[in-house]
Amino acid sequence: MSPQLTLQSPLQLPPSEVQSYLEQLWSNDQPGSTGANTFCLLVWQPAWVEQQLVRTDQIAGPIIGVQRPELIQAARQAVIDVDMPHSTAPLDVTVAAALAQRKGTQHGEDLRGQHVDAAISALQPRRLITLAPTLDEVHELETLVAAYCPLPEEGGGTAACGDVVVLRGDHDALAKGLGILQPLLPAELPSWVWWNGSLDEAPDLLDQLAVPPRRLVIDTALGNPHRCLDLLQTRVKAGQAVNDLNWLRLRTWREHLAMVFDPPQRRNTLHHVVQLDIDVEGNHPVQGLLLAAWIADRLGWLPQSSKRAEGEGIAAEFKRPDGTTVQFRLMPVPMGQPSIHPGQIVGIRLICKPDSQPDHAVCVILCAESGGCMRLEAGGMASMELLEEVVPNQIASVEMDIARLLAGGHNTTTPLLAAAAPLAAKLLS
Amino acid sequence: MSATITNPLRVGLRQERVIAPQCLVIFGASGDLTHRKLVPALFELYKQRRLPSEFALLGCARRPWTDEVFRQKMADALGDKVNKNRLSWDQFAAGLFYEPVDLQKPEDLVKLGHRLEEIDRLRATRSNRTFYLSVSPKFYGSGCKALADAGLLKDPKRSRVVIEKPFGRDYGSAQALNRIVQSCGQENQIFRIDHYLGKETVQNILVMRFANTIFEPIWNRNYISSVQITAAETVGVEERANYYESSGALRDMVQNHLTQMLAITTMEPPGRFDPEAIRNEKAKVLLAARLADESEPWNCCIRGQYAPGGTKEAPLPGYRQEPGVDPISTTETYVAMKLFIDNWRWQGVPFYVRTGKRLAKRLSEVVLTFREAPVHLFDAAGGGPTANQLILRIQPDEGAEFHFEVKSPGSGMRSRPVEMEFSYDESFGEPSDEGYVRLLADAMLGDPTLFTRSDEVEAAWRLYTPLLELIEDSPWQLPIHPYESRTWGPAAADALLANDGLLWRRP
Ligand SMILES: NC(=O)c1ccc[n+]([C@@H]2O[C@H](COP(=O)([O-])OP(=O)(O)OC[C@H]3O[C@@H](n4cnc5c(N)ncnc54)[C@H](OP(=O)(O)O)[C@@H]3O)[C@@H](O)[C@H]2O)c1
Repeated sequence: MSPQLTLQSPLQLPPSEVQSYLEQLWSNDQPGSTGANTFCLLVWQPAWVEQQLVRTDQIAGPIIGVQRPELIQAARQAVIDVDMPHSTAPLDVTVAAALAQRKGTQHGEDLRGQHVDAAISALQPRRLITLAPTLDEVHELETLVAAYCPLPEEGGGTAACGDVVVLRGDHDALAKGLGILQPLLPAELPSWVWWNGSLDEAPDLLDQLAVPPRRLVIDTALGNPHRCLDLLQTRVKAGQAVNDLNWLRLRTWREHLAMVFDPPQRRNTLHHVVQLDIDVEGNHPVQGLLLAAWIADRLGWLPQSSKRAEGEGIAAEFKRPDGTTVQFRLMPVPMGQPSIHPGQIVGIRLICKPDSQPDHAVCVILCAESGGCMRLEAGGMASMELLEEVVPNQIASVEMDIARLLAGGHNTTTPLLAAAAPLAAKLLS
Repeated sequence: MSATITNPLRVGLRQERVIAPQCLVIFGASGDLTHRKLVPALFELYKQRRLPSEFALLGCARRPWTDEVFRQKMADALGDKVNKNRLSWDQFAAGLFYEPVDLQKPEDLVKLGHRLEEIDRLRATRSNRTFYLSVSPKFYGSGCKALADAGLLKDPKRSRVVIEKPFGRDYGSAQALNRIVQSCGQENQIFRIDHYLGKETVQNILVMRFANTIFEPIWNRNYISSVQITAAETVGVEERANYYESSGALRDMVQNHLTQMLAITTMEPPGRFDPEAIRNEKAKVLLAARLADESEPWNCCIRGQYAPGGTKEAPLPGYRQEPGVDPISTTETYVAMKLFIDNWRWQGVPFYVRTGKRLAKRLSEVVLTFREAPVHLFDAAGGGPTANQLILRIQPDEGAEFHFEVKSPGSGMRSRPVEMEFSYDESFGEPSDEGYVRLLADAMLGDPTLFTRSDEVEAAWRLYTPLLELIEDSPWQLPIHPYESRTWGPAAADALLANDGLLWRRP
């Protein structure tokens, strides 16, 4: 599905006039109408790497803020050009920072907020508000508005439609611009805030944007791991509905692991795990920790201790409900062609030893289709029953994952994530 | 059977498909089906977090209940299910509303339209609506019409209608009803319920057939010698005498459920897994199906009616003694018949279909019997070798089993049959969805795969038209054979198979 533009070219207005303009827009169209009774989506859309690549002329504009293949390819090339480790995730902020050192004054048209992915526009958002921070040190606030109707083949075609609002400028300008947002979000409709960037940046804006009952969408693969898990944990604890794209990407791993233990004769094995190993891509442990935390929560394990292991890994111990200790080890492994999401899981290994038959040990290994997991397959398991599965690569784009969230919608955090978040944070501390 | 230990890792993994924010409108909200099946199924979906927060259920019927009364009645009906989950229920119940609506009064539907807009604002349900007609079948046509006239079906993407069974009484009335219903909206807005399609094992027949390579090459006349489809109940007519007297087993079970099982078992592989492709193939195979003897249908169909039975301590009344039943009623509570499917795949393979009330056991299954080995090399324990059988169990204990011959232990080369067995509940961490849970979820998702399309319904009615006409015009030619309650039906049904040198499977 190719992203598409708003039908009308947006109108630049002084910030103070945005609200009255939008009100008028709808009542002119149909008296009493306020547009679709759906939801509002606020997006923090820095697209730093894209902006830098356009500025240094390594990719053609316009800047749209969508993870298109050309962008990812150019970013991978940039990682090599600026001499960063090949296992650096291509859209990482460190890549943007390295590119910032390079010369270039190429200017690309900035269409962030005006490109709407078809998967999202089919849901007819009532209002899509994009915050588009710019590279310039000083950039006064610009506000743009446009009415927007999805094409009939995308699920549109009836009267009710939505609009898009773009706030563009430097950090201070955007901070000031936030003042106009509250009246633009009808109280009766659910609002989502999608922080489509690192959780390290602009914490003041994040705090102002993501106030409950707004639902928050974050990606705990982006940003300092401690900060990511802290933020996740605190927000969940405070009762906000938090959706973590990094957690969503665990879906197939969870499904495959559950499948291994579906046959009744294996289910008992699950209560005799003595060792859990998880390999992740590069140096971001959060996804791996969330998976470990989920397993621990489901099986009633309590964390005992946790420490940094050699090779930047994490070693921890859990206690099973029957008092037995479970050894947990998370290891970063370098990847030649890393995923765009830092810290994706490469492999899991579970070793189960029933007390009653200690020589009947079972070893379960799940490997990512893309990576393989030679480390986990090596050594010491010859005497065990070996169950091995390949976990297919995820194909859904970030936009598709967001569309799935918006298509349904919950005003609370899924209990599984809510239970896993504090445990994962504990493993990291 | 040992108690199933659930798989703790399975919990919460069912959210692959997302139900969109919407308002489900149930007409007949004060009726039996709503509190017995629909609301429990919705509450189940809610507890599994498969309903979005932006969800509302609007109950409609004529009686002047309020939102509060409706909530209370539903809570009372669910009893322990509510008491054990108070908190969840209270949250769920906040989304329950009630509006008095008489489907025959246009002004009521206008009022309903306003109420729906109000609920859209209150619950952010995105003007997305599923209308469920759980009212008497006589309102199916006029109900759809009333909804269409009030403009409530005009957005094909955001409104759909679910119609309960039965859909018509015969070919003519089904056609007439289809014409009305189709004039109210597009075919993909109409969801005709068939409860059997909601069953996991019925769906599993599709997966077994088309996700494996080993079955398809043998799934035809070259390897299969006959097929039996059974849906047996142990219960009698219970409180449904009024309805059942005018329906009978043929209309109540065969035309819909058994015919759907037949279609899924025999359809050609669809080009892709999409609702229309599947429904095309089902409709096609039904068009090729016919009674084994259309000109003299009495040769291929047996009707029966349960007579008293049971024990001295626990006697069971016969059908004619049931309250509300005509003492000289000729309504069938049992029917068995033989069909053929005239296409390349199935030419000449007999399909035996039977259903009945007050039979010996409650069970539904499809039994495929394979041809015998061409040469008998070994002595068999039971004389000749037993033909291989694949049995697809729909209920209870959903699963599949395969019967084949192995060597008998000891010296010599005698063979004997054994079973290979797969059971759903035992193999998966969680029990499968109850039929209504699945069907309600699919209707709200707008996925019509498990609902019957107009041409399927019509083809199914057409298949049984010769029988229905005979029952209407000269019932003596299809006599009612009494059978003792809690037995396997009348002897005449056994004779139907004995003529072909076969026996019904006795599970
Ligand atoms: N019960 C089952 O297990 C079952 C199984 C399979 C299929 N079905 C089908 O499901 C449907 C409902 O069955 P049921 O057993 O629930 O029937 P029921 O108990 O007789 O309920 C009928 C409902 O329709 C309402 N009603 C009657 N006239 C109406 C009108 N003019 N406008 C609006 N509402 C009206 C009644 O409420 P008021 O009197 O308050 O209007 C009542 O709530 C039937 O089509 C049946 O064939 C039922």
